[in-house]
Amino acid sequence: MERSGDLLPGTFDMLVLKAVSLGDMHGWGIADRIEQLSDGVCAIQQGAVYPVLQRLLRRGWVVAQWKASDNNRRARYYRLTASGRRQLADEIGWWRRSIAGVDRVLSAKPSEA
Amino acid sequence: MSWIDAVRQRFRDLLAGERADRDLDEEIAHHIELETERQIRDGLDPAAARAMAHVRFGNRTLISDAARAERGPHLMEGSVQDLSWALRSLRKNAGFTALALVTLVLGIGASTVAFSVFNTVLLRPLPYRDADRLVYIRERNAKGDFRPPSFPNFASWREETRSFAGVAAAMYPYSRTVSASGDAEPERVPVLEVTHGFFSTLGVAPAIGREFTDAEHAPGRPRVAMVSYEFWQNRMAARRPLGTIRLGDAPTPVVGVLPRGFRFFQPADVYLPHEGNPGTVRSSHNYQVIARLKPSATLNAARAEMSAISRALYAAYGTETEATDADVRPLREFVVANYRTLLSIVFGAAALVLLIACTNLVSAQLARGWHREREVVVRAALGASRTRIARQLFLESSLLVGIGTAVAMLAAFGAINAIRVIGGNLVPRLSELSLDARVLEFSIGVALLTAIVVGVYPALRLARRDACQVLRAGRGGTSVRSSVWRALVGFEVALAVMLVIGSALLVRTLRNILSAETGFDSHGIVTAAITPQESDVARFDAVAAGLRAIPGVEGVAFASNLPLQWGAWSGPVRRPSDPKDRDWPAMAGFRVVSPEYFSVLRQPVLRGRAFTTGDRPGAPGVAIITTGIAEKLWPGQDPIGKSIATNYLFNDWLTVVGVVAEASNWSMPHGTQNEIYVPLAQREANVGQQIIALLRTEGRPTAVMTATRAKLREIIPHSPAQIGTIDERIAKSAADRRFAMIALTAFGIIAIVLAAVGIYGVMWYIVSTRTHEIGIRMALGATAARVGRDVLSNAAAMAAIGVGIGLAGGAYAARYLRTSLYGVSQLDPSAYLFGAAATLTVAILAAYVPAWRSSRVDPMEAIRDT
Repeated sequence: MERSGDLLPGTFDMLVLKAVSLGDMHGWGIADRIEQLSDGVCAIQQGAVYPVLQRLLRRGWVVAQWKASDNNRRARYYRLTASGRRQLADEIGWWRRSIAGVDRVLSAKPSEA
Repeated sequence: MSWIDAVRQRFRDLLAGERADRDLDEEIAHHIELETERQIRDGLDPAAARAMAHVRFGNRTLISDAARAERGPHLMEGSVQDLSWALRSLRKNAGFTALALVTLVLGIGASTVAFSVFNTVLLRPLPYRDADRLVYIRERNAKGDFRPPSFPNFASWREETRSFAGVAAAMYPYSRTVSASGDAEPERVPVLEVTHGFFSTLGVAPAIGREFTDAEHAPGRPRVAMVSYEFWQNRMAARRPLGTIRLGDAPTPVVGVLPRGFRFFQPADVYLPHEGNPGTVRSSHNYQVIARLKPSATLNAARAEMSAISRALYAAYGTETEATDADVRPLREFVVANYRTLLSIVFGAAALVLLIACTNLVSAQLARGWHREREVVVRAALGASRTRIARQLFLESSLLVGIGTAVAMLAAFGAINAIRVIGGNLVPRLSELSLDARVLEFSIGVALLTAIVVGVYPALRLARRDACQVLRAGRGGTSVRSSVWRALVGFEVALAVMLVIGSALLVRTLRNILSAETGFDSHGIVTAAITPQESDVARFDAVAAGLRAIPGVEGVAFASNLPLQWGAWSGPVRRPSDPKDRDWPAMAGFRVVSPEYFSVLRQPVLRGRAFTTGDRPGAPGVAIITTGIAEKLWPGQDPIGKSIATNYLFNDWLTVVGVVAEASNWSMPHGTQNEIYVPLAQREANVGQQIIALLRTEGRPTAVMTATRAKLREIIPHSPAQIGTIDERIAKSAADRRFAMIALTAFGIIAIVLAAVGIYGVMWYIVSTRTHEIGIRMALGATAARVGRDVLSNAAAMAAIGVGIGLAGGAYAARYLRTSLYGVSQLDPSAYLFGAAATLTVAILAAYVPAWRSSRVDPMEAIRDT
């Protein structure tokens, strides 16, 4: 299902942050993690993680470092910073509140209007 | 690594743009590899796997751009590229770059220096606390002339005014013999006597110690002194406690040291309290009065009050004072009033130089643009946007201006230090000269303006080129229209002509001043100001004999003050028939001279006789007067034998025995001043503290000056002499013109050089765009000489237009010089002729090399080359 464009605004940044928070990872690994964890629901264009990573880098929520990867190649690994962790927590809180609100609206019955 | 590479590397490190690009590329490549491997693991063949990886990744270019956009604004990154491109381009054209830099340094440097002078002298507040509250007060007489006040008038003002927080006065500085310690060699230093509260009124606190107390100004108190910081450092070895200096014979305690660099008009080394023995004559003019406005008072209110007080004084003391009014003006205005016009002219001249520099750069950029047209259109054809190209070109010229400005500031800094040292005594306040924030702002403004003027038009012009047209036209492209060149060159030449005219007028002025008819022969007169003590007066003869024995000395005379030195010693003269009231028939300077005075100075005695040794004490009092007094007091009569009195001699009646011509001084409004001379032998008591020995010398005065110093040390060892020449004094009195003349001449030379560079560049450009045409002409039979002559006449025609405009502009601008000129009309034809001829000659010389080059064109090559 190709509906990445339909994610709520800002959601994808949150997913990338979350993916990085699970352990230092390179770009491909992050895209792969998101795809795997969402069971393919959030299978976006993989390249889309790079602009997001640049943005997160600039805001100081992640840092990047070139390291040898598992199969001994050079890969650029990203790691969540303390402020990135706070940001992620904020965004998760915001997400849960939004979802709850949306859900309440969606499960409303005619008599409640 | 060259410095340009170093600069480039630095920029790269700072902005890290390129490294981030490399990182991203590598990261994406790695990503695609990992994805490809996964697709292979999932069962695709390698080619399909790679294709699938690309599909799943998305549009690589768009994603890279998006990622790059996240990093920061485009502008910076493009600018780094542009900057390195600009640096490369400037380095590649080293000749052009060097010439442009020289032009910029001259233009911006000259205007920075001129502005810093203008700023220091005219704009900056005086170096006193709240200096804009300080005023300078003078007497005004019925004729409207301003005069320095007398002490009694000053004292009355001080007592009655309510507008000022303080009113104080200083005498005019004089020199005295001082030794800083018991064993130090005595020397003559300038001394300034001040009234109480002088320094606190000025707003200057002593650096060490204290100001004089009121008690120290009281009559009969032993004297104390303050000294300048420089005197304290150099003569007193910066000692603490301050101790005592020897002033003449009297040990004098030092109570304070003034701040470094303090001066009141002229620097002085020793300051003394004045009011122990103040002046008592209401009609004399020997004080400089300052006052500080109360915070609540306005200048106009103070003026009105001072006028009222002065009118009341005149009503009360009208027989004793000629002051009918007071003139109150801001101190700064008084200090720099005479320099406003001259400095504005110098500043204007610098602006002209800057204009020429800008014109040069514009024409150089245009000429260079022609050579670069192909480069630019190829870039455009490859997809560079017009704004990008214009921006690059603009950046290049801005870079040039930036580097030029930096070098110009360094040069200006050096020049300013030199001017402060050399010019510190030529123009008031120049000793304070320095770069300050305002000068920096000005220079940055000038640089920005230059960058815009120089960068925008050529950049836009080049960026707008139509690629097809240029490429089709082959080498050469489209040349700038000749009318543009004509305008640029003409403009430059016109400005240069104006500057040369101004400088020629001032050179003539200075020469006129230095050779002005003084009424006596000033050349070769050596002067020695000495301060004999009581016991020495009898030894004048010994001093004269000693000086006369110096080889090269032909005659020796004494006088109470230097010829051409006016000032405090002037007062009214009258006949016995004149009532002793306010209507003085004439004012005259007063001089005590020895019998040899007129013969030594070669000042002719027109009627009667000079003084003789017979005019001695006990003999009838005699006087010699100038023709001006004779005509005023006894028109049409023989003044010899008449009686005359001056208030300086307490109205003793003197018999006129001779008439001499006035000694004239170019700086006097009417050129001459009336004088009354009395014999030294009869008036020793009126000589004052110092006397001037005048030595008529043959040949160069320097040897005589050295011998005079040695001889005087031998005859009167405790009284060092101040030695100089009259010509030196005359030269010094023209210092302001000299300053303006030097500045204008320097700018004139810079202007001519810049104009020559401009003409050279333009002609070179024209010749190189026409190589083909010249080749054809030569192939058709034109001789080399003919071709070269054509180039020269083309240049001469352009320059001639400029000269015409410059002559008109010069005539217009010279109006501002009028008041500064002496003995030469502002429309003096020779100055204009010189300006035109000099500039035209330089213009043709500058065109000579391009003309020569054109005559060397090989027709075969030129035609084949296209």
